[in-house]
Amino acid sequence: MNKTFKSVLTASAITLATASTAFAAEKINVAFFLEWATPNMIAKVDKSYDKAMGVDVNWVDFSTGTAMTEAMLAGDIDISYSQGLAPFVTAIQQGAPLKMVGIAVVYEANDCFVRNGLGIDGSNASELEGKTVAVPLNTMADFAFRKYMAHYNVDISTMKIVDQAPPDGAKSLADGAVDMACIFGGASSKAAGEVGKPIMSTQAKVDAGIGSFDVISVTEKFATENPDLVKAFMDATDEVNSAWKGTEEQYKIVADASGMDLATTKSQVDAFIVPSNKEQMEKYFGPNGIAAEAAASLGLVFSDATDKAALAKTIDASFLE
Amino acid sequence: MLEWLSDNRSSIAAVIIVLLAITFVVSIFIGRRQTVLRAKDEVFGDPERTKGGWYWAVCGISALLLAWFYYSWGVGRAYFPSAANEMCQIAKLEESISPITAALPIGSRYYKSTLLVARNNNQLADLKNELPTEAFTAEEQAELKTILEQTSRLITNSSDPANLNKESEAKLAALGDQLKELTNELRAGPQGLTPTSEALAQPKWGVSDIEIPVLPMTAKGVLFDAVATKGQELTSTFVKIRNHIPVNDELIADTKERIAALKKANKTAEGDETVAETRNAYVKAVERIFKRLDDGFIFPAKSLDGINTAIGELNDAKDEARGSLGLIDAVFFPGDGVVKSKTQCTEQGSARWLPKPTDVVATFGKLANPDLESGGGYRGFPLLWWKWLPVGDVVGFVVPDWIADAWPGEYARHGADGKIEPNFKDKLLSVAQGEVELGSIPWLDGHIWDSLFRVLVALGLGIFIGVPLGLFMGVSKFFKSFFDPLIELYRPVPPLAWAPLILTIFGIQDDGKIFLLFMVAFAIMVISARTGASGTQLSKIRAAHSLGSTDRQIMWNVILPNAMPEILTGIRIAIGVCWGTLVAAEMLAGTTGVGFIENIARTVSDYELIWVTILIMGLLGLMFDLMMRWVIDKTIPWRGKG
Repeated sequence: MNKTFKSVLTASAITLATASTAFAAEKINVAFFLEWATPNMIAKVDKSYDKAMGVDVNWVDFSTGTAMTEAMLAGDIDISYSQGLAPFVTAIQQGAPLKMVGIAVVYEANDCFVRNGLGIDGSNASELEGKTVAVPLNTMADFAFRKYMAHYNVDISTMKIVDQAPPDGAKSLADGAVDMACIFGGASSKAAGEVGKPIMSTQAKVDAGIGSFDVISVTEKFATENPDLVKAFMDATDEVNSAWKGTEEQYKIVADASGMDLATTKSQVDAFIVPSNKEQMEKYFGPNGIAAEAAASLGLVFSDATDKAALAKTIDASFLE
Repeated sequence: MLEWLSDNRSSIAAVIIVLLAITFVVSIFIGRRQTVLRAKDEVFGDPERTKGGWYWAVCGISALLLAWFYYSWGVGRAYFPSAANEMCQIAKLEESISPITAALPIGSRYYKSTLLVARNNNQLADLKNELPTEAFTAEEQAELKTILEQTSRLITNSSDPANLNKESEAKLAALGDQLKELTNELRAGPQGLTPTSEALAQPKWGVSDIEIPVLPMTAKGVLFDAVATKGQELTSTFVKIRNHIPVNDELIADTKERIAALKKANKTAEGDETVAETRNAYVKAVERIFKRLDDGFIFPAKSLDGINTAIGELNDAKDEARGSLGLIDAVFFPGDGVVKSKTQCTEQGSARWLPKPTDVVATFGKLANPDLESGGGYRGFPLLWWKWLPVGDVVGFVVPDWIADAWPGEYARHGADGKIEPNFKDKLLSVAQGEVELGSIPWLDGHIWDSLFRVLVALGLGIFIGVPLGLFMGVSKFFKSFFDPLIELYRPVPPLAWAPLILTIFGIQDDGKIFLLFMVAFAIMVISARTGASGTQLSKIRAAHSLGSTDRQIMWNVILPNAMPEILTGIRIAIGVCWGTLVAAEMLAGTTGVGFIENIARTVSDYELIWVTILIMGLLGLMFDLMMRWVIDKTIPWRGKG
């Protein structure tokens, strides 16, 4: 008994001694998505973030943006990298104490595929009135759908809108059960592309200013208590983004970090636009910036009682300066 | 009227809670007395013992509702309607001074300066060890070492109280005094403070989309709000105070020059790419850490002691000023209390996912309002209402279009004068497509009806096909052996496993959803009818036979009545499972239905709506079950008495 006690004491003494050398190893938790190949994965791998911020950065992968919100509310996550705009806006509408501090990546808006054989495209889109559409409701695809229809002046209230997940929507489009299907995700988009055509071409989308983006969000608490760390995180992100040259080696690192093969990674990364901090300040967060505008119009998709001014308050670009 | 009810929901809840508490106590009292009264003449295990006992049902329901009221903060809101608003103001105060507290031991164990010293010393040590000797000349290495040396001297200099510049010292002292003033203000109490008319005009707690009104609505709240606003100002002064000291200024200027020289050397240096990269990276890392230290963020620990004490006192004053609110928070608001976000205050803890019973009723009322124009219903459909159903639509649904196609002749074409003369074939097509005026009949409409319709049709089909099949399987060798493998093979498959096929086979209309539910009901009905039929006592069949019954009579008068208890129990189970599968079925291609509402509500975490749909499904299921119990009592009164 006595012996055990002694050894326990010794053990604790040793632990204490070693602990004092690793004084206050601070740690912050960052959420990210696997299979979402953003260039900043390089900085995650080579620990640039840890060095720039001077703390240990613990990366936790998530499968949905809503889960990121939940984890942030529970205090397990300080920064969410590349949270979708949709879950962010939903969280704000539910009163979650989060704020948007930057844009992670900008990508093409999800497509709405019109079934081949209907002969409907952008030029005669008004013929879509009275047709049946598969839309995964309350997602970025729903948002894109409303944007397209508003762009072409199509009255949504005349359409029959069916709530379908992308794989189901693609199948229903192939079966002819629906006339148009709004889809996200690689495999489903490919399947829908077999039997239909996007209502809006990539170029037309850019011209009309319809796009999607993922945001960098932080908890209010973390931002007020550690503004220096948030600033360092944004700077480090900008640094690694501007160092992106698209070399084979860089693609390989990103592919490994995001758990995908090289070819898929390449096509995904190439489709992303990563705005620099300066661009973000000018285009997204300036007066009449895209960020507040998009958040408000997305908010309207979820709830009629969306307060644009309230949403704008949760956008804080001061860490980009 | 509805408006008034909605606005006064917390007072209504207060009355209901008292009534519930009374019913709870009274029902226990009655229950106890009844139990004592009958304890002597009841035998343990006798099914008759379970008959009656409404008082225990009342007791159970009121206990459940009371628990619901409690954990959803319903009790708290009913009796302390301004508590959340006051807690919101306290949260504001905490938020406003949080950048100060986070930099002090009182908020995060260590001084932020302590952490910065530890963090940067560690990194400096790492950098020293990692110096890539192969990439730099001996001279440069010495230079780099000097830079690192000087950088770590920056830390030492800043940590020494003797070096602290007078200006910062004065600023910190002033800030400490201002914090003390705030403390005194809190201690002085809310006398003479009144909420603004704008604040009083805010919608009450939980009535509008904003959960808890943000502006202070009580004198106490006004006090906290005012202190929070001042705290905010102090915070912005605090974060701007830097420890710039003359000893460091020279060091900084010198180090800057040295780094610039090294960077310049890097630019002009020749050599292979990897070496250049290593050099750049290392100098950059050195510069990064230097830049982090030239801002004067590190203070001597002693210099901040005053602030630390002042914040401690402020916290004490805050607790004092809070008064009974702390106890109320702990007792009546289980969970993390009120959280302040940028735009509103929200409930955290069980109340976040468990809406208050009164709020659920209000949301239900809003959904149940059949007037779509005034915001009733959900996504353009009422919850449960009626509409005029054109008979033509029914005809169009029944008559297939190909009949018109098959009719000899051609469809009409527009003539030279631009007019269209419809012929018989055209008229036939319009009938087949339902475009014919045959009057209208009143018909049910809405989400609940759509769900109900799907469940009832599926259940009806299950009963009408499943029961005869089951009975025959119970009496016939052919039916038993032929169908047994088929049914036993598909029965254990969970209904969701069919979902991917359903979409391809049936498309997006109701028939797919009905089929899915039918699959569930059918298997249960077959099994129960078969068990009932094969369980018939042989002696009864033989008796009927010897009295000269035909096969048909034996089936109708002996076997069917004998199987009735099993069949009715089967229906009861099938209804339950059908409701259970409904959400999955309506996920396939949702347009209407209770399950559809839940699926959409889930995507935006609308907990009130989710609970409304859960309750609707539960209540409808309960209603069916009660109906079935009544049917069972009427049709097979002999059950359990044989």
